[in-house]
Amino acid sequence: MTKPFKASLVAVLAAGLALAAGCSSSTPTNSSTSSNPATSSSSATTTTTTGGGGGGLIAVITPAPSNTFFKAESDAAVAEAQKLGYQTQADSHDDDANKQSQLIDSAIAKKAVAIILDNAGADTSIAAVQKATDAGIPVFLIDREINQAGIAKAQIVSNNAQGATLGGTAFATAMGGKGKYIELTGLATDTNAGVRSNGFHGVLDQYPDLKMVAQQAANWDQQKAFSIIETLLQSNPDVTGIISGNDTMAMGAVAAVKAAGLEGKVTIVGFDGAPDAVEAVKAGSMTATVMQPAVLLAQMAVQQADKYLKTGSTGQPEKQSVDCILIDKTNADKYTLFGLSS
Amino acid sequence: MSAAVTAPEATPAGEDGKVILAARAITKVYGGTHALRGVDFDVREGQVAALIGENGAGKSTLMKILAGVETPTTGTILLDGEPVTFASPTDAVAHGVAIIHQELSLCPNLSVQDNIFLARETTNGVIVDRRGERAAVEALMARLEEPISPDTLVGDLSLGQQQLVEIARALSEETRVLIMDEPTSALSAAEVEVLFRVVRELTRDRVSVIFISHHLEECMQLADHAVILRDGAVVASHAVAGIDIAWIVRNMIGREQDELYSDLPGVPGEAVLEIEGLSVADPANPNRIVVDNVSITVHAGEVVGVYGLMGAGRTEMLETIAGRNKALGGQIRLGGRRIDGMSIGERIQAGLALAPEDRQRDGLIPTLSVARNMSLSSLPRITRHGLVSQRAERGLVAEQVVNTRVKTESQGALIGSLSGGNQQKVVVGKALMTQPKALVLDEPTRGIDVGAKADIFTLMATQARAGAAILFATSEVSEALNAADRVIVMARGHITGEFDPKNTTQEQILAASDVDQGV
Amino acid sequence: MSSTKRTNSLGSQIGPFLMDQRAFVALIVLICVFWSMSDTFLTVTNVIIMTKHVAYNAILALGMLLVILTGGIDLSIGATMCLSGIVAGALLQNGIALNFMDKVGYPAAWAVIVFALAIGTLVGWINGLLVTRFGVAPFIATLGTMYMARGTALIMSNGVTYSKLGGSHELGNTGFLLIGSSKILGVPTVVWVMVVFAVAIWILTARTPFGRWLYATGGNERAAALSGVPVFRVKSWVYMISGFCAATVGVCMVSELTSVNGDLGTSFEMNAIAAVVIGGASLAGGRGGVKGTLVGAFVIGFLADGLVNIKVNTFWQTFIKGLVIVLAVILDQAQEKLKNRRAAAAAAASVRTIAAGTQEEAPQATTTA
Repeated sequence: MTKPFKASLVAVLAAGLALAAGCSSSTPTNSSTSSNPATSSSSATTTTTTGGGGGGLIAVITPAPSNTFFKAESDAAVAEAQKLGYQTQADSHDDDANKQSQLIDSAIAKKAVAIILDNAGADTSIAAVQKATDAGIPVFLIDREINQAGIAKAQIVSNNAQGATLGGTAFATAMGGKGKYIELTGLATDTNAGVRSNGFHGVLDQYPDLKMVAQQAANWDQQKAFSIIETLLQSNPDVTGIISGNDTMAMGAVAAVKAAGLEGKVTIVGFDGAPDAVEAVKAGSMTATVMQPAVLLAQMAVQQADKYLKTGSTGQPEKQSVDCILIDKTNADKYTLFGLSS
Repeated sequence: MSAAVTAPEATPAGEDGKVILAARAITKVYGGTHALRGVDFDVREGQVAALIGENGAGKSTLMKILAGVETPTTGTILLDGEPVTFASPTDAVAHGVAIIHQELSLCPNLSVQDNIFLARETTNGVIVDRRGERAAVEALMARLEEPISPDTLVGDLSLGQQQLVEIARALSEETRVLIMDEPTSALSAAEVEVLFRVVRELTRDRVSVIFISHHLEECMQLADHAVILRDGAVVASHAVAGIDIAWIVRNMIGREQDELYSDLPGVPGEAVLEIEGLSVADPANPNRIVVDNVSITVHAGEVVGVYGLMGAGRTEMLETIAGRNKALGGQIRLGGRRIDGMSIGERIQAGLALAPEDRQRDGLIPTLSVARNMSLSSLPRITRHGLVSQRAERGLVAEQVVNTRVKTESQGALIGSLSGGNQQKVVVGKALMTQPKALVLDEPTRGIDVGAKADIFTLMATQARAGAAILFATSEVSEALNAADRVIVMARGHITGEFDPKNTTQEQILAASDVDQGV
Repeated sequence: MSSTKRTNSLGSQIGPFLMDQRAFVALIVLICVFWSMSDTFLTVTNVIIMTKHVAYNAILALGMLLVILTGGIDLSIGATMCLSGIVAGALLQNGIALNFMDKVGYPAAWAVIVFALAIGTLVGWINGLLVTRFGVAPFIATLGTMYMARGTALIMSNGVTYSKLGGSHELGNTGFLLIGSSKILGVPTVVWVMVVFAVAIWILTARTPFGRWLYATGGNERAAALSGVPVFRVKSWVYMISGFCAATVGVCMVSELTSVNGDLGTSFEMNAIAAVVIGGASLAGGRGGVKGTLVGAFVIGFLADGLVNIKVNTFWQTFIKGLVIVLAVILDQAQEKLKNRRAAAAAAASVRTIAAGTQEEAPQATTTA
């Protein structure tokens, strides 16, 4: 009895050590980053509660950093906040509403002065935002909205509908206004999946000669998109276009088209402006992608948070939308991570 | 061993006692085999009926049908002359028929009281009436004349006491017929005495008892009536007063008991298995020493029997020799070579094979066929170029099936389709197939019938004559005296005596096994 | 057996035969249904492509089968796939920083593959160690390593997608993408990889002493150990083989997708378990085989692709997959019961005829028994 027990205890300890080791080595990606040396660290701890001038902790909470988009967004917010003299803490809720709630609790406990949040669901996040607001911490939402106004101090989102229209137009133009195409949609529970699909169709449905032969949900997933496209190209060999709700799925489509030997014969348009998609645009295997200005969103949110903390008002309406930018061969060279150099 | 004294006052009516429960033309079919073929069986009020038969004869099946565990394929059960159908064991209990299984069905983590009232707790609406239950349990224990506290955890009781708790549970619900399947197999002699006293008291209270045992002496002592089953049919039925053990054995297997033990004299050669100063700690409780400085030498051609009561350390010693447990100290040598540092597999390769005591738990793989069970320890013998040669396997298995007299439909039959005795022969066959220099058997005859016992003793003797060293453990004195060339008695982890069976009595062995009981 | 064939009519045999081969029958039914609904389902190229999709899950399932045969489970394979893929991607795209020379070394493609496979095997080795030496329940042990492997992949990649996997001639590390894109005799290399794994694992389970040890360990671990089976070694090996299978799938999939990120292979372990179970294996251990597992993988794969081919709504696809798994397990239970009932009925019939005692009937009855 005791022997296996001891053994399992050792295993638990070993696992704990391994976890601890894993955490420490991940510090640069998503753990707290110490404050800018310019605004001495001694003041940071004492000024957190006052929340008046620069300084204090800004919590940045985003979905999984395994997605380049969210990572760029989170990094931009952290950088902007540090530039303005705040301490930062960046965490990921992995699209889990429960985890998001815990992270909000922990931000409250640490007496953060503001929370920058890319939330885990339009409805499930309302309570979490309310909780932070009730605790006196202003919340600035980026990238995704929640289905209630008046709680968050700002909801800054990229204009998905406008972006989808851009993408749809570019797709229709590249197709020459005719031919058969396949649409890959994202996770149905994600509002943006529907918004983008509607935006695409707002444009595409005006062309009578553009015919959608299949619409399949690949749940934002590359491998799933790959096998769906590979299968659909069998039953529809005359497809000349694939329009995708995000770049990850578009990259799956690129690989499938390549495997089928149709490279260059199929128009592929994605959404997000991920670096590998932009590379594909440059290489010609993808026609265009719609870039969401993630960096800009994050910077705007932090700036408004700063203004709010100093003046008590953001000076902007709660709901703000930032236009997306189409990246195609003409401007792909100017791309910087989720932004364009001028 | 002739017929033991019966209790005449317990059988006032003899054959004419009132029949309470009767089975008529019962047939039961499992898979492709008939466990029972048209069995008639009567249970008379206030009498003990002994049900006797080889393993696989159908005793357990008949009892399960009477107790509602199984339903008969054809045939009827009559209770007080009326046909009844027991839908479940609970239904049977409601009709006054209860069974105590060979494997006790108590929860060791609960108290005696909780076990007795398990699943039928008495309540005041919602809350369990613990005081009422407690009084009932105390009354039951008083009736059984056993001072077991209702609060004791069942896991802390001896096996004999646990059996009494099972009986108490059966008695707590107006039982008229109590079925006991091998109740004495795990009990010490003293505990058996207590059990018998309780059974006699029950019959005085007009409770009928059906008693199943492989110990024929016990059947003769306790029963009023003996019913003998063979191959699923009743072959003989007689009041115990007019019969003897020889009659029972004749009817069970169709031959005399004298043939049970082989008469092949062993000619001891050089030492094969040498155990020197072996000490072993209880694997479940490392602070307890269960084998203390034991030395045994077994020679080629010799059969050595180790006799001891439960807890004497036999099983732990044999398992340590085989390599399952680590020894605290001492040496084990096989043919002069030390094997105590080896793994089980290496010891088998070196020529040491174990047939473990509990075949279901330690001996057999239930998901595999007869052939694959048998060849499991001998895979190196049938492996050619890294692959198992199925032809070589078939050949070796066929050899062992004949050698060990396994009755099976085919080599490919699932091991579970065999009777207990045949399963045990497969376990022994598996050990023999490794061509061991030393064969270690732990209770090789536990829970198997007379015919299979005879086969196994013959095998042991044949192996010894062929030059193997045989070491076996037993808890039956007659086995130790009849099957071994030399008997070693163990008690509490020590060797307490060594005997030549030719001039030793059962009493001497029993005395040695009990020497330091007080320590 | 032979006498049963003689006396029983053909009709009474088909039922049990169909039950016995139910996974295979299900596959045939699936194919017929989709064939009738789509002209492009049963074309040579489509069958090849579907088989390629099946191959990934089949290789994972073969590794999983070995683990399940010992009574264990391996939840870490999806994450292991991802980790191996990320390792391969990182080595190809970024090389290895050689600190002592202040240079970056780019290993050749074959070395990258060998290293990625070794990483997967290492994860399996850790699983085996946890299960045997530390006595952690397989479910918990592999749940832990699943998170650790996934976490390691994310830490290594730092959220980046590796997409420059083609290598370059100057660096001498080209060729990685050949696995996913090349064909042998018109059939994708990945399918051949599956065939090799299937044959190898079939030989391992059905013909080698190790295979016997596997089934014995899963059937009754104590008895197997007492029979000389090196139970710990068997368990360590099955997790290592499972990890190796996962790494193989990871490498092949990354090569085919030409890019990899930290999300690869999420919940793939569930598909592998489903294939093994549909193939008739018991999660308790000791029962199951390569043939059934392959059929199970084909059922899941053809179902998924067929539903896409006939353009069934994605939500229904998910539902139908679940339904098929549940039906498979219900059938499995039903077959056991049917088998017992038929045997009992046949034997009971023979008893009645014996009891009747008619001389003409008796010999015939004994042959059916």
